[in-house]
Amino acid sequence: MLRNTDRRPRTPGDIRIRLIILTLAALLLMALQLTGQLQSLRSAISFVTAPAQLGTTGAARSVTDAIQFLLELGTLRRRVNELEEINASLLAENFSLREVERENEQMRDLFQFSQTRPGLELRGAQIIARVIGQESTNFLDYIEVDLGAIHNIAVGMPVVTEQGLVGRISEVNNITSKVLLITDPSSAVNAILQSSRLNGVIRGDPSGNLIMDFIPQGPVFSVGEVVLTSGMGVRFPRGIPIGQVIERRQRDIDIFQQAVVRPSIDFSSLELVAIVTNFDPQEDVPALAEPTPMPAPITSTLTNTITSTVTITP
Amino acid sequence: MSQNRLPLYAMPLIIFVAALLQSTVAARMVIRGVKPDIVLIIVVIGTLIYGSKVGIVWAFLGGVGVDLFSGGPLGISSLGLMLATVVVGFGHRVLSRYHLLVPLGASAIGTLIYGLVYIGLLALLYEAAQTPLFQWIALPTYQLPFWATLQDVVLPAAIYNTTIVLFVTPLLNRVPEVQEV
Repeated sequence: MLRNTDRRPRTPGDIRIRLIILTLAALLLMALQLTGQLQSLRSAISFVTAPAQLGTTGAARSVTDAIQFLLELGTLRRRVNELEEINASLLAENFSLREVERENEQMRDLFQFSQTRPGLELRGAQIIARVIGQESTNFLDYIEVDLGAIHNIAVGMPVVTEQGLVGRISEVNNITSKVLLITDPSSAVNAILQSSRLNGVIRGDPSGNLIMDFIPQGPVFSVGEVVLTSGMGVRFPRGIPIGQVIERRQRDIDIFQQAVVRPSIDFSSLELVAIVTNFDPQEDVPALAEPTPMPAPITSTLTNTITSTVTITP
Repeated sequence: MSQNRLPLYAMPLIIFVAALLQSTVAARMVIRGVKPDIVLIIVVIGTLIYGSKVGIVWAFLGGVGVDLFSGGPLGISSLGLMLATVVVGFGHRVLSRYHLLVPLGASAIGTLIYGLVYIGLLALLYEAAQTPLFQWIALPTYQLPFWATLQDVVLPAAIYNTTIVLFVTPLLNRVPEVQEV
């Protein structure tokens, strides 16, 4: 009897078996990661992928900047004929100098920020999200920074820029860390309205704005008020800008009022951040803290930091 | 190795590069807060050409790649992409992928399935984190408002991905039909 050499007909069983095996593998990966068993593996992978991300992001930024530059150049050419004489080497030099200047400017701002807050020990970090990668899905809001466990970065440390609050460290690998941005719906930050002194909780919204919830009914606050971290819950130092109220949501049937807040930071163009390394976040404290007792001001919380230690490392 | 099969074997590499681009270049292609799902698009196109049997493997690998550069749990994107691949696989033979609506529908449906699975699993994880049974693990809590995420993220992403596939379709139609492998 001749062997049937025809292509084996498509059987749903094969796909099913493959699907079951891969589903189990995915669930196993998830379980291992959630129980912290893959930490060393992820560190090793990030060690390999970080340079690739760094290079790709750098290239992408260069291409984007080059396109923008060329667009600008085109406009300028129409306006001024002299620009036609600019040669390619000068363009390249200009391009790299512009990059350096921008970084310098940010470093100066960060330094100024740290000088006005002598109680905080700041450690500068380049955001790997810009340099090597951002959150890869549309559902969550994370960035990656190029400081990790070997730089004494720990889960829960607040992350800021000179413009305000960025988020907090959520995962630490050897040389990189992930930062949960305040725009993520899972994030919760105790906040206070600067003028009306009303407390609430800032949460991320899928639309990209921030929602300040749990504002007590009754007192009136106005559009344009600045929102700051309140320090309640001791997850973040107090007094760090978060954003500005752009809409007030109040309905008599609700227990609380809400405010739509525009973040003070443009998260799409983050390049450099500072991680507050000497702040001890209390993980177990719920996001919405009890009204009493009031926590001590951040200056007294940072008991061990008498001197202002500012280490800005690019 | 025939020429037609070359992309098939190169697919894992293509998917890894796509995952890398997803976490770097895609962030510069954000429109109204949504970036394109490069890995999903490649997996959907690959499945339409080669069938769901290999598409499932790419979906698994692509999902791992996406999750490596994400703050979400590892494996969650694989589950979403694999389910999307199973459904999109119907477009390989049952329907002719040369019909314009097939790749467009596949990318839209694929994005919806991927999004729904992702949100659903995160919600499940959140519920599990609240139960005493899992208190010892200290599961991370991801809180995504279902309808808001569907409206503000999943649907715009489906439109964005479908638009990209619309431009890719002429190239896709040049690839010869390949038997299920």
